[in-house]
This record gives sequence, structure tokens and C-alpha cells, in this order.
Amino acid sequence: MYVVVGVVLLAAFIFYSLNLKNKEHANAFESGVLNLMAPLSGVVAGINRTATGVWSDYVDLVGVRKENKQLRASVKILNSRLLEAGEALLANERLRKLLELKISLHAPTLAASVIGEDGSPWFKTILIDRGTADGLREGMPVVASDGVVGQLVKVTAGSSRVLLLTDHASGIAGIVERSRARGVVKGKGGGRCSLDFTLHGEDVKVGDTIIASGIGGVFPKGLPIGEVTMVKKGEYGIFQTVELRPRVNISRLEEVLVILQDLHD
Amino acid sequence: MTKFIKSAIIVYAALLVQVTVLPAYVTDPFKPNLLIVVIAYLGLREGGWRGALSAFFLGLVADCFSGMYFGLSAFSFLSVHLLLRKVADRLYTDSLYLMLLVVSLATIVNGLIHLVLLLLFSVADGIYATLLADLLPQALVNALAASLLFGIPAFGVREEAR
Repeated sequence: MYVVVGVVLLAAFIFYSLNLKNKEHANAFESGVLNLMAPLSGVVAGINRTATGVWSDYVDLVGVRKENKQLRASVKILNSRLLEAGEALLANERLRKLLELKISLHAPTLAASVIGEDGSPWFKTILIDRGTADGLREGMPVVASDGVVGQLVKVTAGSSRVLLLTDHASGIAGIVERSRARGVVKGKGGGRCSLDFTLHGEDVKVGDTIIASGIGGVFPKGLPIGEVTMVKKGEYGIFQTVELRPRVNISRLEEVLVILQDLHD
Repeated sequence: MTKFIKSAIIVYAALLVQVTVLPAYVTDPFKPNLLIVVIAYLGLREGGWRGALSAFFLGLVADCFSGMYFGLSAFSFLSVHLLLRKVADRLYTDSLYLMLLVVSLATIVNGLIHLVLLLLFSVADGIYATLLADLLPQALVNALAASLLFGIPAFGVREEAR
């Protein structure tokens, strides 16, 4: 019995080990599952957004409803119109910023909606509603109006997963905009990042903006990544400790831009 | 066949809620992992090769929406399932409180397995800090989610009669 259990666990372990080499590529199983889930995820995400808007717009009017029975019907009608207008305004603002970014980037881009998030709290990925059918490939950079979001991993026909810059496996070459000090932006989970491998003598201050350096050919040079929140220089050591807060509010992402041009070309 | 279809619908719905609905209202690490609740239930109620295969398959599905390491949750879910099968005979599985405790412990064991495998085989430096900090809140939130789910008569778990 123990032998059987041991063999079964060993087989599962070997299966996991064999897949480590191809962890950035979606295999047939993953493609199948994501293709099955993506359409419904998109629909549910849309319903979610509408439900959230209705709830937040009705809270303010509870007192009015109580005060005046006669105006309840007209208030309901006005509320629904306000809700539609409010949502359209917010969407307009978000998409206008995204369009400004799209124009400023000298590369073809594709807008995508966020339809899901990672199922585990210690990994940071999101699911978007575009895939290989729209010309996406693994490794393409993903940005938002405020700055860098992450990189595509696991692309299937109709959806893709984005490895966020706050994930522990993420690494983006960055420089300090003011002093041009170089480093690598690594994810630390919990909405934080750090700028690693910045030499001890480099000039980095709290409040400095970190931008993409373009090294590695993934992210266009100059894209904002985040703002420095903590700098610690020990008495000894080659590198200093720099923590930064991403420019993009990951928890409020609804639309992103995928830069289609592979900068390795 | 009906049972299989019912189970597939439950898993599909749980996954949809976990990946699409809950992130809009709940932030990490207070977002429950509904698949762990299903694994704990399977571990105590469904034995044999069918239960093990279901746990492995659920782990693969979880890996499709979590992280970059395909096979990680499959291995951890299978391990948790086999561990629960070992002790299932000694537990009073009709007790709701015991099920909640099992869900919490299953969450912690699953997290620790992830931690060991990630430290050994991944380039995610420093993930131990995030993972360990999130383990206890996850265990508590999963127990809360389980208390709501197991309250449904279909799951056949009831509170002990006093």
C-alpha cells in the first residue's frame, strides 16, 4: 500500500518536474481549460462591474427614498440614467488615458479587458480576454495608462495570463529616471516591488521614478514602472536596498494594452 | 454519470467565483480558495483511485489559473488528498466543526508543500515571506467559506447534535 502511494506521489512529482522547463508556455491541457473558461469569465466579469456600479450608486439615495415616497419611481429612473452616464464617464476616462498611451507608443498595440485574477494569494497573475487569435504571443509586454503591468505568459486562443510585475518570478530591467542608476525591478508580492542589484554608490532617493531601461528588449525604454518608497544603504555591501510602489494600481485594473511588436525583432 | 456532471458543474462554478467574482470584492489573502474546500471534502468522503485522480485533475485545473508552475497544485492537492484518506477512517466526518478544522489544516499543508517545491525548484526568491504571511489568513478564510458551503444539505455535513 505504501509502495503504491509512494509510486503515485513520485509519478506526480516527476510530472511536475518535467513541466518546469516549459513553465512559460501553455500546454494542451492548460489551453483547453483556459479556452473553456475564458468566455464565461468575460461575461461574469461584465455582470460584476454592472452590479458594483448599481450598489454604489444606490447607497447615497437610501435617505432620499425614505424621505419622499412619491419621488421613488422617478428617482429609480434617474438613478439608472445616472448609473449609465457615470459608468460611461469612468470608462471614457480610462480608455482616453489608454488611447493617449497607445498613440505615444511607437508600436502596434491591442487593448484587452481583465477578466480574472490568480487563484492563489501568493502568485500574482491576471487573465485577459485576448489570445493567439488576436496575434498575442508569450513574452509580449503589457502596459496600462499609468505604466508597466507585466508580461504575457501562457497564451491560448482566446485568453492569456499576464505575469504581473509584483509577482516574485517577475524581473524587469529598470533605471532611476533622475540619476540613471540601473537595477532590476523584482516583484515582492503584496503590491510591492524592489529594485535589486543597484550599486551601493548610486544616487537613489525616496520619491524617484523608476522607468524601464529597454535592456532585454521587452519593455520600451521610458515606460514608468514605479516610485521609490524606501532606500537603505548598509555600511558594507555591494548593493543598496530599494523598495518601490508600482505606478499602476494592480487591484483596480480593468483594461490593459498589449504591445504587439516583439522588441527582440 | 449524474454525480459526475453535478460535481463538474460545482467545480466549474467554484472556479469561476474564485477567479472572476471574488477578486472584485475581496483582496488577497482574504480571498478563499474554494478548490481546497472541495479537496478536503473529497479527501474525507471519496476514496480509491477515483478520489486521487479527481484531486490530481483539480490540481491541474487550479494550475491553469494560478502561477506559472504547471503540476505544482496537482502534486500538492494529490498529497493532501492521500494524507486525508489515511486518517479519514479515524475521523467523524459528519461533524461540521471537524470538517472546518480539516479544511484549515489542508490549506496550511497545501501552502507548505508549495513553499518547499518553490524554494527548491523556482526562481521566485523571497516568496517564502509572502506565502508564510498569507497561510493563516487563508486557512481561516477557507474555513469560513467551508462553513457556508457545508451548510448546504447537498454536502451532507451537519453539526453534532448536543
